[in-house]
Amino acid sequence: MEIGAEALPNASDVAHQYFLTALEGGAVDFDVLVLDVIWTREFARAGWIADLSFAVGPELLRQEFFAAAAESAIVDGKVFAVPWYVDVGLLYYRRDLVPDPPRSYRELEQDALVAKSADARLQGYLWQGKQYEGLVCNVFEAIWGHGGSAWSDGRLHLQTSEAVAALAYLRSLLTGGISPASVNSAAEEESRRAFQNGRAVFMRNWPYAFSEFQHPDSPVRDRVGFAALPTRDGAYGQGTLGGWNLALNARSPPRNQLAAVQLIEHLTSAPANLLLAGAYGRNSPRPALYRDPTLAEAAPQMPALLPILSAARPRPPTAYYNLVSDVLQSEFSAAIAGVRTPETALGRAQQHIDRIVGQHA
Amino acid sequence: MPEQWRDGPTEKRQAYFLVAPAMAMLLLVTAYPVCEAAWLSLHRFILVFHDWRFLGIQNYRFLLSDERFWTALANTGYFTLVAVSLELVMGLGFALVLNASFRGRAAVRASVLIPWAIPTVISAKAWAWFFDAGGPGSRLLLNPDASWLGTPGYAMHAAILVDVWKTTPFVAVLLLAGLQAIPRDVYEAAEVDGASWWRVFRSVTLPMLGPMIAVALLFRTLDAFRVFDAIYVLTEGGPANTTETVSIYAYKTLMRAGDFGYGSSLAIAIFLAALGISLGYVKVLGRVLGAAR
Amino acid sequence: MKRVGTYFAAAAILGFCLAPLAWIFFHSLRSADGSISVVNYASVFEESIFARAILNSLLVASGTTLCCIALGASAAFAVAKLEFVGRRAVLAVALVVSMFPPIATVSPLFLIIRGLGLRDTLAGLVFPYTVFALPLTLWVLSSFFREIPDELYSAARLDGCSPFQAFWKIFLPLAAPGLATTAILVFVFSWNEFLFALTFVSSPEKRTIPVAIALFATGQTEPWPEIFAASVVVTVPLVLLTLALQRKILSGLTAGSVTGF
Repeated sequence: MEIGAEALPNASDVAHQYFLTALEGGAVDFDVLVLDVIWTREFARAGWIADLSFAVGPELLRQEFFAAAAESAIVDGKVFAVPWYVDVGLLYYRRDLVPDPPRSYRELEQDALVAKSADARLQGYLWQGKQYEGLVCNVFEAIWGHGGSAWSDGRLHLQTSEAVAALAYLRSLLTGGISPASVNSAAEEESRRAFQNGRAVFMRNWPYAFSEFQHPDSPVRDRVGFAALPTRDGAYGQGTLGGWNLALNARSPPRNQLAAVQLIEHLTSAPANLLLAGAYGRNSPRPALYRDPTLAEAAPQMPALLPILSAARPRPPTAYYNLVSDVLQSEFSAAIAGVRTPETALGRAQQHIDRIVGQHA
Repeated sequence: MPEQWRDGPTEKRQAYFLVAPAMAMLLLVTAYPVCEAAWLSLHRFILVFHDWRFLGIQNYRFLLSDERFWTALANTGYFTLVAVSLELVMGLGFALVLNASFRGRAAVRASVLIPWAIPTVISAKAWAWFFDAGGPGSRLLLNPDASWLGTPGYAMHAAILVDVWKTTPFVAVLLLAGLQAIPRDVYEAAEVDGASWWRVFRSVTLPMLGPMIAVALLFRTLDAFRVFDAIYVLTEGGPANTTETVSIYAYKTLMRAGDFGYGSSLAIAIFLAALGISLGYVKVLGRVLGAAR
Repeated sequence: MKRVGTYFAAAAILGFCLAPLAWIFFHSLRSADGSISVVNYASVFEESIFARAILNSLLVASGTTLCCIALGASAAFAVAKLEFVGRRAVLAVALVVSMFPPIATVSPLFLIIRGLGLRDTLAGLVFPYTVFALPLTLWVLSSFFREIPDELYSAARLDGCSPFQAFWKIFLPLAAPGLATTAILVFVFSWNEFLFALTFVSSPEKRTIPVAIALFATGQTEPWPEIFAASVVVTVPLVLLTLALQRKILSGLTAGSVTGF
């Protein structure tokens, strides 16, 4: 079987735009697509990806994979994709500055202040506040951390007291000096680099950063630990589920389909997961693998991810997520930058989202 | 030219054939899409879901209450006002210098074209590096942690600077041509009268440049109103949509979100605004040009 | 004193115009460890993306220039030399089109181009580019045609030429400098165009230069040195071309705007 591969731009929304124009134009020059976990519903509804239930049933998916990862591949009880690797938002902390990771926002603030009093140049807490999808992840984590939920009864509800509190909390991190102004324009790489240079005590980021920290010439080698995100009341934090699934192009010619499905099965198999984990630091979507000693050998930090990944929570599972996210990015960014109050921002967001989804009966 | 040749019957007939191809293209690719966009704007049309429903003017009602649109319009207005003013003043300054005679003038005149020739995307990338956190621009900021492009308020001015850098030379070229068209004896007469440089400038140069300035103003205003490339590359409309101009908002709605219905109503709104600006200018210009004659 | 002031101002203008080019150039020579090297240029040429992008831009710009001249020359001649009902209208339409916000046409054009099967093709770009460059073509060429004495037209007609033959055999050859100027302006316009190129072409190997550079990001961070190396590769020929043809460009730009009215 001959397999060609094409690398897409790294930024998720640029890749999305590529797919939008290509698949809308009926492109058949690729059979297997790599989908961000937030795209499955949209692509399924648009008719771009094929129902894979004949090869893989939903029950099998739920058995093998993390709950959130499985749900990201199942639409209306049918399997439209197979999880390839997953990510989750988590808290990094400097073990040499803070012995135990904080469980609540208060503890995080206190720990940060204590560390800063010892070294004034240190920054407290780095996260991603730039106007892009990563910000939406950060905000949802804060909403969930306040005990709220943005998705209920199959609809997005943003005008809740928890959402207001979450945005106010994030804003207060900036005004209170716990987070530096650079957070406003930081994406994952900016935060990671600052943290890797030893400039901060805490950081919210994805698991990939850890292997960067363990590089031979990293200033923070062996001094970084990670844990679940803190919450308002100290409950176990829920990180946003990230990651990528594999799907089949619905317009793929029949003679390619079987081969394509085989390819998907091969790439998402447990041995492939292990290989990706060891060589590229890609987190397997299979909980069982995390208890496998071979994984611990290939990637020593991964077993500790098991509880955090199990608690991962997906972003609102709407087919309109792409449109909704654009609205969320603008309004969340405005609230965080202090351009608008959380209430105004959430009100405007709800107004736009209602138009996007609500007009359709 | 003898009238019989200029507007003879053969001329009139063949003229239409000569003109037809160009006109057909122009109308086809502008008039038709605008009508189509207007039609789309009356519907709910989510491209990827093939969602298609007639809505009447509902999109426009939403648009009127859409704060994001009005903010984008305000951003565009601010951008246009500041950028065009700066370009006009600086362009005039450049033109005056380039009109003077000095050694190496030809080289300076040639180099003035370079910002115009370079793709906007590349100059935007160059300035993006300048304004990036850690770049030279950020050292000028009060807060070393912040970056120009990430701070609301600063980002807009960075974008304005990029536009000013790119198009001041263009304005300078136009005004230079205007300056060169002013006859020498007008200056000499003023000098004989013993007028100061400023007097000469105000009562002779400026009025004679009037038409050129008006033309430059019209084109620059429309170009600034339609700005897209520089902002897309610098900030994509961020942070917090503070650099989001109407074109960026329409683009995101159309091509990122795939909301062709509402996106088209935004596009039509932009088109009407541009039309309004053009008509307004043409009226004023007509008066200015008439006065100059 | 005035002399010194003039030279100082001229130097300031020179600095203003060339500064970004200078720092692009210096940074393109930086390698990962901070030393000076041309490793970035090597990678630009290795990565076929940029070589292809340059080719794509060349094809699109040439195609647009040819189409513009083919369509616009005859119309410019008619507008400049002949008297007919609707002559003003032609100029007015050209003016209106040049004031058009391209974003207003993006969604319908996307659907049209897709319908014609031209989505993600270079021909699909030549099509809208030609239209948006036609007004410029009309203005510049008509001002050049106007310079040619009317007597030549009368003489041609007396000899028995039709208006079209007069255009084709006499005026077009004489307007060669004008054609050259127009060609340059249209070429630069389509070389630099971004919005349509971003929207109508999606495959990486069909991208034109502005899109390739804007979307050039390997890995998570902006690789400034590589972006700048690519920019230099693209800009240097443009700069040389501009310097060599500056007289033509200058006259074209001013002619275009003056006769716009």
